[in-house]
Amino acid sequence: MKRIEVKLSLPVVAPLLDVIRELSDRLGKGLAAPLALSDLDEEFRESWVAELLASQGADVQTLLALFNDEFFTEGVVAFDEENAEPILRACAAIRLTLREKFLRKLGDETLESGEIDLEGLEEPVRRAFMCYLFLATVQELIIQHLDTSILDS
Amino acid sequence: MPDHQSHTSPAEKNVAELQLDGVWRVVVLNDPVNLMSYVVLVFKKVFGFDDATARKHMMEVHEQGRSVVWVGLREKAEAYAFTLQQWHLTATLEPDETH
Repeated sequence: MKRIEVKLSLPVVAPLLDVIRELSDRLGKGLAAPLALSDLDEEFRESWVAELLASQGADVQTLLALFNDEFFTEGVVAFDEENAEPILRACAAIRLTLREKFLRKLGDETLESGEIDLEGLEEPVRRAFMCYLFLATVQELIIQHLDTSILDS
Repeated sequence: MPDHQSHTSPAEKNVAELQLDGVWRVVVLNDPVNLMSYVVLVFKKVFGFDDATARKHMMEVHEQGRSVVWVGLREKAEAYAFTLQQWHLTATLEPDETH
């Protein structure tokens, strides 16, 4: 099984986990991306949302499981063929939620370009943006190293 | 993927079925959050696109705000929309008037 291990900076990443944990509660109650289909009947829609919420919650738990004892002792997290897909999705869900909750006022163009003066941001927004960038880096790492495993699974 | 359960009366059902007949488009809408590389991977994974096709659709989403990624029967279009939603891409369905 293909596996990549990444050494992270504990002092940088550990505070971001609080943000992720806080948002994981929110993601248990609502979809990260709004359901855009307007013509589903109500019962069908409820069934979809319930199933999507369950899937979203399971993905976020897989992401949180990365930050285990090994991470807190060695600073190492491991991605493999089994966790790559749910972690990719969880990162997307949390990034979407970070935008909704903390980053909307930065503007979408600024958010897409990533050109932001971190020192000029208030603390909750700065931490949220750091988390947003960290999760994007996780996604890039997985896509760069495990894309074949994801496409073949 | 949940089953589609209808609770309409026979008359209503005929109207509903007529509305759901025909050909539907799966349209992916732009969002400012998901990475281009992520969207390309999702298109390849969900639709089996090759790299060039996936990138073409991703660029359409990015530059035009939307891309029609699949056209076909309603039930399968719904299944694709559901899967895209699992990957946190925003998808809508619209009737394809050209068929």
